[in-house]
Amino acid sequence: MVLDVTAKTDRGETVPIGKKEYWEIGLDLDGNHRYGAWQIKEIVDLTLPPRKTVQERFMAELPEGTKSADVDITVTYHPSKKITLDVFKETRTVTF
Amino acid sequence: MLIRTIIVVLISLMPIGAFAMHPEAQYGGTEEISNLDVLVTRYSDETCKECHEEIYAEWKESYHSQSVVHSIGGLRNFIVHGVEKGWNAEITKEHLMRCMDCHAPQLQDASKSLIRDVAELIKKTVDAQDEDAKEKLAKLNVNCVICHNTKVSIEKNLKGKPKPGVYYGPKGKSTTWLKKAGFSATRAHGTERSAAVTSALFCGQCHGMYTPPDGDIIGCNTLYGSYQDAYRGNGGTETCQDCHMRAKNRGHRFPGAYEKDIVKDGIGVDAQVIGLNIKPGTWIPTIIARVSLTNKAGHRIPDG
Ligand code: HEC
Ligand code: HEC
Ligand code: HEC
Ligand code: HEC
Ligand code: HEC
Repeated sequence: MVLDVTAKTDRGETVPIGKKEYWEIGLDLDGNHRYGAWQIKEIVDLTLPPRKTVQERFMAELPEGTKSADVDITVTYHPSKKITLDVFKETRTVTF
Repeated sequence: MLIRTIIVVLISLMPIGAFAMHPEAQYGGTEEISNLDVLVTRYSDETCKECHEEIYAEWKESYHSQSVVHSIGGLRNFIVHGVEKGWNAEITKEHLMRCMDCHAPQLQDASKSLIRDVAELIKKTVDAQDEDAKEKLAKLNVNCVICHNTKVSIEKNLKGKPKPGVYYGPKGKSTTWLKKAGFSATRAHGTERSAAVTSALFCGQCHGMYTPPDGDIIGCNTLYGSYQDAYRGNGGTETCQDCHMRAKNRGHRFPGAYEKDIVKDGIGVDAQVIGLNIKPGTWIPTIIARVSLTNKAGHRIPDG
């Protein structure tokens, strides 16, 4: 699951505001990242826990002279390398 | 031939007491099987679709119906990189069952030679893009019989092994006249109510960390641990069946990570964004975004 916040300014620039990835890292007992089910003995849990709310806060500066920006907040889900599901998308316009 | 036809007709006319003779009921057998088709027949779901048409169609759409072919790349890597290269060994039944106990439990009845055949088919499917091999493997899956018989007896010591020809379900429905006659059965098969089928642990048998007989743990997925410790542990009360089957009449399609609808149900998003000018004098346009994500599923997102 990936949370992405990106701004598009009135002057056409694209500025990344913040990004977070939620996933599990499977490890063997030497502490190396592994993909094989037979190799994975432990996990490092960077996922979203159930029945909990995770809060993220991002802050980023835009190029000088920006008068307004459209801020896209998207959440995408990647069940496999080839597939992307758009779970959430909202755009907020801010002015300066 | 005539004799065989007569026998078949007689069997199909016998409503009960004949369960053990039905072809689909032969998985009670104990001898090891060396032929893939014979093994598939022992656990066959061919007859189920005649009467449970809708459920069959739903199941066919689910990943349970493709539980070997959909994981084929990983299974191949286990054989080639794990066993052959990593462990410097030839694939044995004990090796392969550490995947197949969940991906194709039917193989518990396979002989050593059939296990080697299946391993070859897996390699051929991936390495030679052999469609024939893939088609054969597609017959191995988590089907009706696996869930409603093979995997249903969690409390083996207390309740005994599942009986051949009996399908265990949430209600144990019987055909009325058979019920009146004191049988728990339909025209086609015995039925029994099973509390296990509706439990989360039933799914947990395959949806969590796994310890094979030699203790060399398999971390294919860790979902059930998260369900127990983080979801139930934090006051969650729903079962897997509540969210994956009963909700929105999802039935036997078992939607999960590949279906947008259920993925969306699982996540609540709240986004707050403001624009401001910071650093008096320089006045740099700045954005502050606060986003909160609430996991409404019954386990970590994502898993595996
Ligand atoms: C305890 C049961 C269990 C065992 C043992 C197991 N698996 Fe799995 N496997 C599953 C389940 C359940 C899923 C689907 C779970 C999910 O998508 O979260 C899965 C998914 C997979 C996938 C990914 C399919 C996809 O979504 O792309 C691969 C590959 C895989 N398994 C390979 C293996 C291999 C190789 C082994 C043996 C070394 C193995 N598994 C052992 C239960 C198991
Ligand atoms: C992954 C395991 C699994 C598989 C595979 C599976 N089922 Fe089920 N089935 C269940 C569970 C769990 C329930 C109980 C659902 C509930 O509690 O709401 C159920 C319920 C049922 C019921 C009772 C429905 C009702 O409303 O009373 C029937 C009939 C049934 N299944 C038939 C089948 C048939 C036929 C197949 C094969 C096409 C099949 N099942 C495959 C797990 C499975
Ligand atoms: C000749 C028709 C027929 C065939 C073939 C058939 N069933 Fe059924 N089955 C029924 C009927 C009738 C019921 C009673 C419940 C109902 O009305 O759905 C039932 C009920 C069930 C139940 C639910 C028991 C409960 O808890 O209420 C399961 C599970 C089940 N069947 C599995 C199977 C499986 C697995 C197969 C294939 C191996 C199969 N059935 C083949 C007619 C059939
Ligand atoms: C016999 C083992 C077994 C049982 C029992 C079982 N599953 Fe599965 N399940 C699997 C396997 C294996 C896969 C992965 C198939 C693949 O993608 O290759 C799977 C896939 C799934 C998926 C789709 C995963 C995805 O990535 O989207 C869901 C959802 C699911 N199962 C839910 C359940 C629920 C709910 C139950 C209990 C009612 C259950 N399963 C019982 C073995 C099992
Ligand atoms: C409160 C509702 C709820 C409960 C309870 C629940 N699930 Fe889920 N499950 C979801 C939602 C929503 C998703 C989609 C989001 C995701 O992929 O994690 C999902 C996804 C899945 C997936 C795909 C996971 C992945 O990331 O590949 C599997 C497999 C699964 N569930 C199995 C189960 C099993 C087994 C249980 C019981 C032990 C269970 N679920 C309990 C709601 C639930």
